[in-house]
Amino acid sequence: MIFCAAFFVFTVAASAQSGQKFFTRDGKVKFDATAASSPEKIEALSNSATCVLDAANGNFQWAVLIKGFQFEKSLMQEHFNENYLESGKYPKATFIGKITNLGEVNLAKDGTYNGIVSGQMTIHGVTKEVTANGALTVGGGNVKVNAGFSLQLADYNVSIPSLVSDKVAKEAKILVDATLVPKQ
Amino acid sequence: MILGLGLIGVAIGFAIWNKPHENMAKSKAEAAVEATALFKEYNTDENAANAKFLGKTIAVTGRVKESSKTEGGPAKVTLETGDEFAVICELDALSQHARTDFPVGETVTLKGKCDGLNLDVQLSRCVEVK
Repeated sequence: MIFCAAFFVFTVAASAQSGQKFFTRDGKVKFDATAASSPEKIEALSNSATCVLDAANGNFQWAVLIKGFQFEKSLMQEHFNENYLESGKYPKATFIGKITNLGEVNLAKDGTYNGIVSGQMTIHGVTKEVTANGALTVGGGNVKVNAGFSLQLADYNVSIPSLVSDKVAKEAKILVDATLVPKQ
Repeated sequence: MILGLGLIGVAIGFAIWNKPHENMAKSKAEAAVEATALFKEYNTDENAANAKFLGKTIAVTGRVKESSKTEGGPAKVTLETGDEFAVICELDALSQHARTDFPVGETVTLKGKCDGLNLDVQLSRCVEVK
């Protein structure tokens, strides 16, 4: 019996470390471009980002639909879609990269690890190399991902008219929060 | 006179700035489509499907595959497409819903904004159509 249990634990751990993929379609992505002088928050949230993490090689992919971002103010949402990110032309933002310090992250063992992720971010039709740090928390068979990073809107050809430059920051803060479950 | 015009201008500006989000219960669906057909159109030609549906209010009918409520997130209804991926409708946070939990297997019609294809076809701001 003990042998069976040990064998089970061993095989689960081994499979988690080798071919296991983790996945979610409920990732939260928060976008915040509130300028320091702005009286109102320029922020939006999507609850439907997809994310896939391959435990075998650390490959890490994200995708979020621009039209899924909800703002508190309808007018902001309209400008975000039509003028700034042109979501009719560029409906998706993606990140394709990998965890570069996979040796320090044990996805088969419960705990919180600092993950360094590096790869290509595509927003508004422009692709840039980015690196970000985040927390990977392994527990209950799932992997929780929490990360925050900033990006320059100008890098992605998003220009902010001078009329609203006191409200909209040049740098947007992005926060991601997702619980990835083992993919069947 | 100038002050009067100025005040009117400020009032109009304020009204535009604070204009409310579209009322989804009253939003007219520009297309009515089966979940299976919608997914097939997206899976066959994403650009063509986006030209037809992206950003529009559409009514989608399908069999409930899953009804979920994520931690701190909105309720979502997943409609079957016959594929591994589905049509996922996120219920509108600004609307009143008669129910947010849908029995698996029931055929329902949900109306919402088409956000595009992200593995699944995603709709946001959805309300049930009776």
